[in-house]
Amino acid sequence: MSRHHPKSTTLAEFAAGTLDEGRSLVVASHLAMCGKCREYVSALEEAGGQMLAEIAPVAMAPGAAAHVMSLLDRETDAPSVQARKQSVMPVWQPEQKTLLGYELGPWRRVAPGLRHRVVKVPSEGGARVFMLKAAPGLKIPGHNHTGTELTCVLSGAFIHEGGRYAAGDCDDADHDDGHSPVIDGDEECICLVAMQGEFKLSGLIGRLMQPFVRI
Amino acid sequence: MPTAAYTITCSADLARLIEAVAAERDREAFTALFDYFAPRIKAVLMRSNTSPAAAEELAQDAMLTVWRKAAQFDRTRASASAWIFTIARHLRIDVARREQRSKVLDLESTEFLEPPPQPDEELDAGEREQRVRAALSHLTDDQIKIVRRSFFEGKAHGDIARELELPLGTVKSRIRLAMNRLRDLLGELT
Repeated sequence: MSRHHPKSTTLAEFAAGTLDEGRSLVVASHLAMCGKCREYVSALEEAGGQMLAEIAPVAMAPGAAAHVMSLLDRETDAPSVQARKQSVMPVWQPEQKTLLGYELGPWRRVAPGLRHRVVKVPSEGGARVFMLKAAPGLKIPGHNHTGTELTCVLSGAFIHEGGRYAAGDCDDADHDDGHSPVIDGDEECICLVAMQGEFKLSGLIGRLMQPFVRI
Repeated sequence: MPTAAYTITCSADLARLIEAVAAERDREAFTALFDYFAPRIKAVLMRSNTSPAAAEELAQDAMLTVWRKAAQFDRTRASASAWIFTIARHLRIDVARREQRSKVLDLESTEFLEPPPQPDEELDAGEREQRVRAALSHLTDDQIKIVRRSFFEGKAHGDIARELELPLGTVKSRIRLAMNRLRDLLGELT
């Protein structure tokens, strides 16, 4: 069970449908592994439902109901009987070519012990989404960003100033949260990241990596 | 006048109507749902900067989606209004992303995310309905105002700031405080 969760406002934007697609993908990955946050999102949807029930209605155009009823005749499909499959698919397995329906680019080496792959999210103007795979013991150079960085650990673990982040944990960082993660344990750590703004590395290695990590 | 079977007095009545649409393709039930929800969906869309014409069309689309997806409704997992809220949300996202279907929040792919049952953390829909009602009643009027605009109506922070004549920074911190308060209340009211 995860111990680090997205901020309330991030989950609220997700539940409202106003969060950009890239960060929504990271939140969805966290939700798949976190019952607490799933329940919070369901509660927000319930709150949305209650507000919908209480809103002052605005009359539909004359004949709107009749128009929609006439369209139903074209809806030939019977309602799907197998509506709810109870199958549990893990969000991430090593051989997967997609993540929750999104296509993944090839792994590319960006530095010794660090690989990167693009997650193809079509919406423009949102966050850049990618996966990072880091070798055990790797110390990612200290960095901060001009925008926000939302990370969900898919496997393995890292430690930084905010604590230890293992599979399912989410790091919802603002631009002023500079950090320098270290991969913990003897397993590779795979993270899903949605980043807005620029990624700024500090230190010599960071400056050397900067051209590669500019995604 | 609607007959008793199609009268809406509580949340369970709405759930029964959706179930009738799912099981029997009941058009009278669908009409009752349309009359109740379409003008409300139109209203919330108009409040989030959608033109009346577009809001009208989206509300109709939402109701067609209700007809198509009625079989996916499960009253033990969500109340009828919460379910319809998510349908309206998907349509709003589709429009915002210029018709690109969002895979993450799409009704089809959420099945993919079907979680393992965790009874300790996830509530029965009826229980959740009570808890959410209680939590909302504990928010101050100002907090409700902020939650309604930012979360329910999905307004941009800048628009809220203009509407409430508050500085942007104040709006952002009020949203954060209100959402944190709501999350705490939902946690406390067990």
